Amino acid sequence: MKHILLASHGTEGARAAEKKVMEMCTDDVRVTHLLVVPEFWKDMLGDDWLNNHATRRRFEDYLEKELNDEVNGHVRRVRDQLADLGAQAVHEVVLGRPDRCLVDACERTAFDLVVMGSPRPRGSSGLRSRMTTRHAAQHLKTSKLVVPHPCG
Amino acid sequence: MIYTRKSPALFMIGLIMLAIWYLLESGILSGYIGHLGGTKYKYAGEIAVVPLYFGIFSAIVGAWQWFGTHKEGNVDYYLSTAAGAMFILLIAMLVRWFLAPEIAVISESFGKVGNTGKYLHKILGLNYVVLGIVTGIIIVNVFRIPGWAENGVRLSRLGLKTGVILLGTLYSAAELKNLGGLSIIMIGFFVLGSVGLVLWLGARAKIPSSMGGVLSAGMGVCGVSATVAAAPVVQAKSVEIAYTIGTILLWGVGCMFVFPIVGHLLDMSHVQFGAWAGTGILNSAQVAGAALAYQPDGIETLKVAEIFNITRVLVLPIIVLWLAVWYVKREGVESAQQVNVARVTFEKFPIFVLGFILLFALSTTGVFAPANHYKGKYFGNTAASGFKEENLLKPGQAVLLKEEFDKVQKQDRKQALQRLIDHGKVMSMEDDDVLRGLINAKVVSEEASRVLKKAHKAVRHTAKKIKAFRDWITWLFAFGLVGLGMQITVSSMRQAGGQPAVIGGIVGAIKAVLSLVVVILLISETV
Repeated sequence: MKHILLASHGTEGARAAEKKVMEMCTDDVRVTHLLVVPEFWKDMLGDDWLNNHATRRRFEDYLEKELNDEVNGHVRRVRDQLADLGAQAVHEVVLGRPDRCLVDACERTAFDLVVMGSPRPRGSSGLRSRMTTRHAAQHLKTSKLVVPHPCG
Repeated sequence: MIYTRKSPALFMIGLIMLAIWYLLESGILSGYIGHLGGTKYKYAGEIAVVPLYFGIFSAIVGAWQWFGTHKEGNVDYYLSTAAGAMFILLIAMLVRWFLAPEIAVISESFGKVGNTGKYLHKILGLNYVVLGIVTGIIIVNVFRIPGWAENGVRLSRLGLKTGVILLGTLYSAAELKNLGGLSIIMIGFFVLGSVGLVLWLGARAKIPSSMGGVLSAGMGVCGVSATVAAAPVVQAKSVEIAYTIGTILLWGVGCMFVFPIVGHLLDMSHVQFGAWAGTGILNSAQVAGAALAYQPDGIETLKVAEIFNITRVLVLPIIVLWLAVWYVKREGVESAQQVNVARVTFEKFPIFVLGFILLFALSTTGVFAPANHYKGKYFGNTAASGFKEENLLKPGQAVLLKEEFDKVQKQDRKQALQRLIDHGKVMSMEDDDVLRGLINAKVVSEEASRVLKKAHKAVRHTAKKIKAFRDWITWLFAFGLVGLGMQITVSSMRQAGGQPAVIGGIVGAIKAVLSLVVVILLISETV
């Protein structure tokens, strides 16, 4: 049975990777869906110093809930699609630098293939947190498939 | 949970501080101090005291953290912050005492820049404040904050708030009235203007209301702090928060460097620069940074800028309420009951401002300095008020002034001079002002001017408590800003983008330029 790592956190580029994995799904394919919440969120209080503890706490709780809802939404969507295809799937959500988390995941488990999306083209909007970096390219020992971005 | 980390870090920090103290006291550092300015080097007094006390504290608590056994409780929680706090303090010491003076020496070796009459480091504002913040930014982005320091780095906020509270001791009632009035007008106009402009541009660009709401708070009021306060109220999406905070941080750090350069090139007064920074810089932390960058060895600029900061933060609950009502109306979210006016006002009210007001009120009673003090200095020509008998005019000095008496034409100057000659000292604050006018008018000889200046100094005293407060305030802000630098990550600044970056850039630039024009045209050099 082939074991594929799908690296996706729901961006347009990552959805192209999801689509590719769905196309590859057969009875003998097992998918691990890795979703990385970028660690820069930990620093999003920036240099705020004027607010009191209650206000900062409310912000942290709110942001955590927002991110949680988004993560759950992505996981649910991928899980439903894979279930429709009858594929075995597990979902792993981690906090950290996306490229490093990808390398770590591949060191923990022996995958046959890593599928991920391409960085978005210059000028298009989105958060700056990349999976396809030089670090990932140098350290990934697993075969990888980088799916082209739908916007070219 | 046990917060204390078993680590040698704090102990080592203590040893480094004690080593700095020992190297200076033993004279080993004399050569280096000579290189940094010799007798002009201003920090020898600080090095003789500060690293000794904090070094002993760090070494003792550090030994306990390293070798002791720790149990859950208040002692563990509060002392766990010591390592991070002393880490920040050590960086502030090294930057203030050695790095900034070294950069000044290098800059002075290049000579003055063109016809500006200023050295490069002065124009670029490369002093201990800016260098401290930059060091903080480098540490967090290159090395990350070590685990043992994480808990204490958060204390930097407390340092800044305490600094603002202590600033309350330095204002006269007239200063506070004038600055308060000025800041209410400026902040009122520019806050409402920026919030309105962002919402208008946002509507034109068809951005979501939540994004417009959170961006307008950040751009209009006090940067990241306002974004943090407003985001849950306007139900901003995570990506909108990231865009907004990234934009504001990037803009704020840029302004902290650019504003002092522009201020020096335009030769702005401390009041003008403080008012401009307090209005034009988006992020409240960078307002303090720019003010201290502009005037590192005095706090007149900081005093003005902080009044503007306080006014902004007092406006924050109002703006948050306004945005909450605006958002509910615009989006028709569930019901208007979502906006709990009392809770928003109570939660967002900056309690430290009450401390500032309390200390200001105390200072007006004369607890810290005679009630007639101005910027910590006061007039006193009696022994009880600090006058020393050895400062009375010497017979030769009195003769010199008598000889030059006829050069003086103005009646009030003649009278004040006569009283000085008769009593051997300046007799009143009014006489002191008149005699200073006489010095500036250059009517009498240089030698006589020197006598007059000496007589002036003899009756002008610095309140010891106020001087101590000034020193504390400088250190608290240096400590706070280095710590805040450690919370500015490149990864969060890199999130600046999307429409918030465009709208934020437009509104930020308009605000900075327009407030500069208003300040130059309408604000005099003093208050």
